Amino acid sequence: MKFKEIEFKDNNSTRIYKDYINRVKNSVRILDKDNQQEILLEINSHIYESIKDNSKSKGEVEHLLDVLEMLGSPEIFLKSLVAEKKLEEATKTFNPVKIAKALLLNIGNGFSYIVFTFLYIFLFGFLFLVIAKIINPENVGLFYRPNDVFILGHYSNSAGISYAQYEKLGNWFIPAMLLLSAVLYVLLTLLLKLKRTLKIRSI
Amino acid sequence: MNTEFFNKWTSQLKKGTLSFMVLSILKDKGEYYGYDLINEVKKRTTIEIAEGTLYPLMNRLKEEKLVESKWVEQNSGIPRKYYTITDSGLAVVKEMTQYWNHLNQTINSI
Repeated sequence: MKFKEIEFKDNNSTRIYKDYINRVKNSVRILDKDNQQEILLEINSHIYESIKDNSKSKGEVEHLLDVLEMLGSPEIFLKSLVAEKKLEEATKTFNPVKIAKALLLNIGNGFSYIVFTFLYIFLFGFLFLVIAKIINPENVGLFYRPNDVFILGHYSNSAGISYAQYEKLGNWFIPAMLLLSAVLYVLLTLLLKLKRTLKIRSI
Repeated sequence: MNTEFFNKWTSQLKKGTLSFMVLSILKDKGEYYGYDLINEVKKRTTIEIAEGTLYPLMNRLKEEKLVESKWVEQNSGIPRKYYTITDSGLAVVKEMTQYWNHLNQTINSI
């Protein structure tokens, strides 16, 4: 299905229309091409049908302005639609960039999205530890001694105390952190998907 | 009168009942496209809705499989997206109607 611009007699109508369509395009540009096209086609169809229905025989420009005013500001009315579609795209693909964008868009849609955002940031902490281990292998790791020491991450031995003898993972620290990140990522994304499904069901 | 409170209340009520209105309209006739559906809401009720809010709602109803949609080419070259209610949508709107009537009776009896 191809997008076709509506033709107007008055140049001012064309300018107003094109400006509005550009605002719609800008509002949905974060989505994938198919979703962008779907929304653009539907809004364009709405404008076209409204323009045809000029029962009060108003001038073209005045009628178009009324139509667009009734439709509303695309930045506002498309906000929830874009946030939902983005979350749908993100949970389908497991793409971390899409997930991050979707969470940012949905952060105002409930406390649970704030928790998810926090957990995803936490997850990147494990990946950060992988880099930290490469840079500073002595002071980064899993240090454990029952009832005394438990450190997952970095410690500073500025006081002259070394926990090197309590390090439990050794060379396995990096693969363990990578595995933990991957498992947590899949788990969080599946939970996000489940949460989205439950939210839709509650509408 | 606290008009701010009243306006907020009516706005929430309209928002909450729009899905019920849309499904009720769809159950009576085969198919509607967006603009057509908005006109029908306006015709059957006195409710003024921000027209753009219909589209996020239709997307949610579609995801919940209460409605289906299809694009139909037009001679103008500008296609229409037609919505129809599904069996699941019909069952839901029946439940909604029963609940709405019950709620109405309860409120009237207070």
